[in-house]
Amino acid sequence: MIAVLGLVVGVVAGLLVRPEVPAVVEPYLPIAVVAALDAVFGGLRAMLDGIFDDKVFVVSFLSNVVVAALIVFLGDKLGVGAQLSTGVVVVLGIRIFSNAAAIRRHVFRA
Amino acid sequence: MSDQDGTAENRLRKELPEETPAAAPKAVPPAEQNEKIEKDKDERPGVTGRQRLVQGLWPPRVSRAQLIVAVLLFGLGFGLAVQVASNSDGDSALRGARQEDLVRILDELDDRTQRLEDEKAGLEKQRDELENSSDQAEEARKQTLEKERQLGILAGTVAAQGPGITMTIDDTKGTVEADMLLDAIQELRAAGAEAIQVNGVRVVAGTYLTDSGNSVSVDGNKINAPYRFKVIGKPQDLEPALNIPGGVVQTLEKEQATVTVERSTKIVVDALRAAKQPDYARSSSR
Repeated sequence: MIAVLGLVVGVVAGLLVRPEVPAVVEPYLPIAVVAALDAVFGGLRAMLDGIFDDKVFVVSFLSNVVVAALIVFLGDKLGVGAQLSTGVVVVLGIRIFSNAAAIRRHVFRA
Repeated sequence: MSDQDGTAENRLRKELPEETPAAAPKAVPPAEQNEKIEKDKDERPGVTGRQRLVQGLWPPRVSRAQLIVAVLLFGLGFGLAVQVASNSDGDSALRGARQEDLVRILDELDDRTQRLEDEKAGLEKQRDELENSSDQAEEARKQTLEKERQLGILAGTVAAQGPGITMTIDDTKGTVEADMLLDAIQELRAAGAEAIQVNGVRVVAGTYLTDSGNSVSVDGNKINAPYRFKVIGKPQDLEPALNIPGGVVQTLEKEQATVTVERSTKIVVDALRAAKQPDYARSSSR
């Protein structure tokens, strides 16, 4: 519950504060958000499976974000930033879908 | 990268290379994968996933795990909202664009600017031309109007005024004839008369004079003595022309007529004559 509240508060704070995204972070933020979403779905699935562990969640969340940003950074340096970003988003999207399918089975039994 | 698929006891295994098989189940069709998961879960006694979800949601428990997850989710929500907000800004199309796209867009804008500048120059040129031509048309119209007035004075269709003389021929004996008046008119014309009227009849190029009993007809209009000539022209030329020895005045006085010539700075010739379209003659200019 508190976790859900944290998410809601974060969204509200982001909408209210509307901070200027620093130019350095700007290319990485979208990918980082998608990576974090992937971690969250993974965590949710793990919780439904009864194998949730906060430490794993924290590590996976942070490493997801960092690796995603790193890939974008590397891609930009190599000149294939756009393609690599697309690739990362596709992979993360597939993972999110499969996790969502598992969650759906738990929640709706279908 | 991260899967929450490790149990508490095999958490350490995540550090091992064996982590890679964690990605393997993704290759497996989701249905199959999920079956496996449910099988695993069924083997475990106790609560189902749904119950766990409900337990996690209610009642709210303050635990370390919840707090940590809440902080991370706060970060996620914050980033999500910021990204969405910055994407839905007015200039989001440019904000998210890459450098090469921006360069391309800039080039396109430059091209477009160039095209529009060309178009603007063309239109301005056209406008100038139109203004000039309308100026010229206006000028031509003015000149035509001016010419019409000048010709109108000659043709007797408009009134005229200016310096000139008034000549009055008082013919008590009835001896003045048309040819004498015609001589007077010729003399006046030779002296530079520009507009002439006799007793309210305008004298123009086609004017003719005939005797009609004791009096004279001008263009078929009978006029009686005294004959009053109103003449516009240079008075200093007109008066001597009439008064030269053996000229009009002397000839008329020989016929017992009284002639008075007066200079004036303002003579009004207001007798008019209708403009007549010639039946046969056509302008050959133009």
